[in-house]
Amino acid sequence: MIELKDIERYFQTGSLKTYVLRYVTAKILEGEFVSIMGPSGAGKSTLLNIIGMLEEPTAGEYWFLGEGVHKFNERRRAEMYREYIGFVFQAYHLIDDLTVYENLEAPLIYKKVPSAERKSRIADLLDRFNIVAKKDLFPNQLSGGQQQLVGIARALIGRPKLILADEPTGNLQSQQAEEIMSIFQQLNKEEGVTIIQVTHSEENAGYGNRILNLKDGKIDA
Amino acid sequence: MFKNNLRIAIRQLTKNRTYALLNILGLAIGIAASLLIYRILRYELSFNQNFSNSERIVRVLTKTTGSENGDQTSRGLPIPGMAAIEQSISQFAHSTRLHEDWPTITIPKAGGGPPLKKISISQSEISFFAEPGFVKIFDLTWLAGNPETALNEVGDIVLTRRVAEFCFGKVENALEKTVVMNNNVPCIVRGVIEDLPSNCDFPIFTLASYETLRAYASLYFFREEEWGSISSNDQFFALLQDKNQFSAASSAMAQVGQHELNERKKKRNLHTSFVLQSLGDMHYDEEVGSAGTHTISWSRLWVLGTIGLLVLLMACFNFINLATALSTMRAREVGVRKALGSNRNSLIAQFMTETSLIVAFSLAVGVGLAFVCAPLLKHISDVPDTQPFLSDPILWLFLAVIGVLVTLLSGFYPSLVLSGFSPIKALRSNLTTAKGGGVSLRKILVVSQFTIAQALIIGAVVTISQLNYIREMDLGFNKDLVLTTRFNADSIGLTKLATMKQRLLQLPKVEYVSFSSDLPASGNTWSSNFNIDRRPEEPDFHTSVKLCDEDYQKTFGLEMLAGHWFTASDTVKEYVVNETMCRKLGMAPEEIVGKVFRLGGQSWFPIVGVVKDFHSHSLHEEYEALTLLPNKTFYSGIGIKIRPGDISGTTNAIRSVYDETFPEQVFESEFFDESIANFYESESRFSDFCKGIAALAILIGCLGLFGLATHAAARRTKEIGVRKVLGASVGNITGLLTRDFLALVLLAILIATPLAYYFMDKWLSDFVFRIDMKWWMFAMACSGAVLVAFFTVSFQSLKAALANPVNSLRTE
Ligand SMILES: Nc1ncnc2c1ncn2[C@@H]1O[C@H](COP(=O)(O)OP(=O)(O)O)[C@@H](O)[C@H]1O
Ligand SMILES: [Mg+2]
Repeated sequence: MIELKDIERYFQTGSLKTYVLRYVTAKILEGEFVSIMGPSGAGKSTLLNIIGMLEEPTAGEYWFLGEGVHKFNERRRAEMYREYIGFVFQAYHLIDDLTVYENLEAPLIYKKVPSAERKSRIADLLDRFNIVAKKDLFPNQLSGGQQQLVGIARALIGRPKLILADEPTGNLQSQQAEEIMSIFQQLNKEEGVTIIQVTHSEENAGYGNRILNLKDGKIDA
Repeated sequence: MFKNNLRIAIRQLTKNRTYALLNILGLAIGIAASLLIYRILRYELSFNQNFSNSERIVRVLTKTTGSENGDQTSRGLPIPGMAAIEQSISQFAHSTRLHEDWPTITIPKAGGGPPLKKISISQSEISFFAEPGFVKIFDLTWLAGNPETALNEVGDIVLTRRVAEFCFGKVENALEKTVVMNNNVPCIVRGVIEDLPSNCDFPIFTLASYETLRAYASLYFFREEEWGSISSNDQFFALLQDKNQFSAASSAMAQVGQHELNERKKKRNLHTSFVLQSLGDMHYDEEVGSAGTHTISWSRLWVLGTIGLLVLLMACFNFINLATALSTMRAREVGVRKALGSNRNSLIAQFMTETSLIVAFSLAVGVGLAFVCAPLLKHISDVPDTQPFLSDPILWLFLAVIGVLVTLLSGFYPSLVLSGFSPIKALRSNLTTAKGGGVSLRKILVVSQFTIAQALIIGAVVTISQLNYIREMDLGFNKDLVLTTRFNADSIGLTKLATMKQRLLQLPKVEYVSFSSDLPASGNTWSSNFNIDRRPEEPDFHTSVKLCDEDYQKTFGLEMLAGHWFTASDTVKEYVVNETMCRKLGMAPEEIVGKVFRLGGQSWFPIVGVVKDFHSHSLHEEYEALTLLPNKTFYSGIGIKIRPGDISGTTNAIRSVYDETFPEQVFESEFFDESIANFYESESRFSDFCKGIAALAILIGCLGLFGLATHAAARRTKEIGVRKVLGASVGNITGLLTRDFLALVLLAILIATPLAYYFMDKWLSDFVFRIDMKWWMFAMACSGAVLVAFFTVSFQSLKAALANPVNSLRTE
């Protein structure tokens, strides 16, 4: 599904190039549950952003479902987000002005899903994550764990093939973290969703089936 | 403390450069515009204050009430009425009769021949025959001569500095010298006065004694005994003994001449009387007018003032809006400061320092802009460049008030809101939730601001359409290719007219030549009572009178409705009247031809033709009943219809004929369409003014919208990022950001349209000839505003939508 070839990424400050990623080559197949690990500042988020097409590598090739990502324009990228990719963020990034229900609805509107189907899909997910009672609340009226549940629900609602999660449990207590991880595992096993998560915890990584260790911008095999 | 605040304030402003620039520019433009309008108002309101007795000076008007056309007031009085006033009003300390004149002054050459020097009065000046009371009423600055005796005798004349210096080089040389007025009247210079200031309705060229007018009565067609003839040339001014006597003098005035003024019209409720008007109201009475260059109605001044205020208000709303919008971005900073122990007052001080700094900048830029643009004012108003500007102390007061008000309004609100945040809330809240209550206020301000802008734009569109309509209206005569010039002729001069006409007609390009007292459209009014068909009672209205020769109709292209123009004659033998005369008398044009007619108390002659209505006065006025008749002794103007081609050659040829006919006079010509354009100059200037205001309204409105859109885009960067990774397209995001603003603009349009309709309807009702407001005027103004708003906002929104979301989504 994903093929990275000699991905390189540096940040230029003045005349100084700071390499964050170098010679990163990896292959991720459909249905895998991969955890990216490594010390802080190793470039995990940068790698995930590249996979999520939020950043472009300064060199190297990236193939997504057999297509060269470097050829994608703004519109094609938006299409990818609508059709294939769901994001889960450490800081949840819900839209503050919208209720839980409306937050879940937003991606479906962009996908042009008809309103009846939107309703039933949202109802399903609310039910599945046990947050039906919260549907009319605003994000700042929820606890962190609840917000992240909404965040994951929102990532799932468009039925993506790939979920990218950057330290999804970084701000949560261990009990909530376990709940989130088991949801990921269940999704991966039962629905075949490919998941790539960044995590610091060995425990969380244990839910997945592969670990990519990032050190000094390279993948330790 | 203050220094520290200032340093932080400057840092803040340099950091938010776009915001600071928008804010300063918007407010500065508003301030500059309101300063310029203030300048106009100040100028117009300063009129006639140069006379130290101005509160006690009055003039007498003739007012007729009860006519179906509404009340009619003239600044002219019948001469015998003046005598009656002098005898009956005890409250006047001094009074003077005035007779307007537009003389040429020449210095004769000893032993005859062409004069040594000649100077003609300019269009913007006036000369009077005045009684000695004039110098008691109006305190002029005397440079030479004795004011007590300067206007006593026949031939006494007082020159202004300009005339004296032109004729004699120095003011001191002028006294007791001989000059000739109107090529006929020898005068002795008895005094020299300073030129009058421009903000005065007495732009005097020369003053001659009233005794001179009496002595040369036949030359000036001056008749002391006619009650029925009212000419705007003959006026009456007086000085009250005490300004509190105005009402006493007014009620006494109502009784004067009642019998004589009303004896001919016992019918209906038509009633003529003399009324008193204080000098302070003269400049603002557009109907009656003055001897000055222009008048301006109170309603026009109110419109100007309101526009100035609205523009300033818009700019202030804008400023407050941007200031509050930005301050919400600093909720976090406030939280940190509070957690560090800063108290509420010092936070307020910090915000106020920032606001006052930016307001001070705007004021400075605004004054600079106004100063640079001040010379442009002469294109849209009567304000001369010489009008003091920065030296006007009231201007600085005005600026100080604006400065303090804007600082308080735009600084106080956000600083109160922000400093009132609990630190925990401010720290915890991310940017979006910090907007708090500010959002509703901000929306109200945006809507108000756009309502004002929209109303101003609609107003401008309607005004410009109305003024264009007036300018392009069928005047009823042909104003193209008619060259006009004036002359002063005594009885000898008048004998040369026939030869002059013959010589002019021999020029290849000259088609028609006509002598007359007035052009078809002129500001002069001469009205008279009349009778038709030997009715036992005279009709209850006056007729305007124009004196002209047999070629007037062809020269100016007037259209005949019935009968024919009168045949050549030096004195009246036949009359022509206009369509309105027929209508008012209730007779058909065909019916009226052949009836006998009499002007004033003169002899009966037949009406031979009816001419289609043409505009004889301002287009603000309705058509008046008009009588046209030949009377050679009154002719002072020449109209020459020429054929196209070689206009300058023809003009030169005409000049040489003129110079040979009147060697002692100055040839000054003007094409009739130019003088018509001058006649409507105030309209055309006001139209330009409206265009400027509309542009300004759009500009300020857009600066504000641009700032708010920038701010909204910044405030919502995170949201935009999130929406993008949820699959929103660029169009989705731009729409999201633009939609909110367009909704506000639409709301503003909804409010502004009926308001503008109401006020413009009132404004239009002042015009006799007016347009109907059409839906397209509103549609044009609205779609213009929406389009401009859309482009302004979507520029910023598009930028936000195209930005890479990754930066806003990072968590570090
Ligand atoms: N926009 C940027 N400009 C400069 N340096 C950056 C930028 N973004 C990230 N970095 C640097 O890249 C390195 C890797 O960042 P990141 O991928 O966020 O690490 P991780 O997620 O593994 O902690 C860090 O040293 C960070 O400072
Ligand atoms: Mg990271």
